[in-house]
Amino acid sequence: MSVERHHSQEENVGAYLLSALTEIETRAFEKHLEECPVCRDEIDRLRPAVDALPRSVSPVSAPPSLKQSLMAVVSEEAREARGEPRGEGFARCMREKLAGLSGSMAGMQPGVAGAVASVVLLAGIVAGGAGVYAVTQASDDGGSGGGSRIVAAKVDKTEVPLASGSLVLSDRTKDGAVLRVHGLPTLDSKSTYQVWLRRDGEVISQSPFSVGENGEGAAAVTDDVENAQAVMITREPAGGARAPSEKPVLSVRL
Amino acid sequence: MHLVQEGDPAAFEQLYDRHGGASFALAYRMVGDRVTAEDISQEAFLSIWRSRARYQADRGSVRTWVLGIVHHRAIDALRRNLVHEKRRSSAEGIEERHEAPEREQTDVEAARREEARHVRDALENLPEEQTRVIELAYFGGFSHSQIAEMLQMPIGTVKGRMRLGLDKLRRSLAAVAA
Repeated sequence: MSVERHHSQEENVGAYLLSALTEIETRAFEKHLEECPVCRDEIDRLRPAVDALPRSVSPVSAPPSLKQSLMAVVSEEAREARGEPRGEGFARCMREKLAGLSGSMAGMQPGVAGAVASVVLLAGIVAGGAGVYAVTQASDDGGSGGGSRIVAAKVDKTEVPLASGSLVLSDRTKDGAVLRVHGLPTLDSKSTYQVWLRRDGEVISQSPFSVGENGEGAAAVTDDVENAQAVMITREPAGGARAPSEKPVLSVRL
Repeated sequence: MHLVQEGDPAAFEQLYDRHGGASFALAYRMVGDRVTAEDISQEAFLSIWRSRARYQADRGSVRTWVLGIVHHRAIDALRRNLVHEKRRSSAEGIEERHEAPEREQTDVEAARREEARHVRDALENLPEEQTRVIELAYFGGFSHSQIAEMLQMPIGTVKGRMRLGLDKLRRSLAAVAA
């Protein structure tokens, strides 16, 4: 290591620790660190000061919905990691949700009830643990499992402050996905929630659905989600709409 | 932490309960918007969950590791320009956004508020020009060249003040701890 090189880099120690270098400068400095024990020692010496900086901010309570949506994703991933058969945890989750939904279907208008029934059916199918989907899966890949990906939703807190949600995507995007929500307010009989898929600037209608009294619900995204940019939920007139009539209350960026 | 690394959701929930408030507060102080702060916290904790095997106890405390990840996520958000324009127009407010009023809860929280006050005192007792560049960089997410432009001073001066300020802060905190 040349002395000139050390002198040209040593002034960057503070800026590096404070994340104030550009990406290119950061890479160059880290390369320099590999060969410069003097700068490494200086970094180690000053790091406690930087580590203390976030502690200057007094803790505040995070919104409860943050923990709720975070733990929904974590629990699902933990179930998968434990090697439960594909979709079993999710299917159980769906059964619990469907039990809640069935109660909320009782007072619905026929059209909405039919739509929700479709959602229920599709959700069960996409859950992957049983029924038609399992047969198809077995014929395609010899019955081996497969992964799924879970993406947390972004929520419009001004409209639905307690809501959270996540999208469960199959590895095979043609299988669609299932959007799960918590904490959404129940709507009156003149309104429904509706799912949309945004792909290449086009917004494609998916299923209308409702939530149970506990604010939980699930809806299937039946279109191929490959190359889609987002999955969204809006509130629409009962029976659903052809195009969203409001800004999404919940959306998942893909 | 061992249980978290083994993938235990209950242990991870405890980790969140312990550090979620500090994480959200840090993100909020940096971006100045509760919804964005919530997004950043969520992204950070999912990243922590998914990279839990990478935590090394000999490289620092869990809290430092968690807050470091939140800080990087917030910097990314700021640099993606999600909120930087707003911040640039009111950079003078960065050092004022210390905390939202909050009810006192537990002894742990009270201790953390006390710790926060100590660190803040140490930071505020630095020469003003050093406090300024440190806060603009760490909490504002600004690069050294942006800070030089904002404060109309040479880049070398900014870098020098950052290093000097960190050195004084380290010594000040060490003296309090001793």
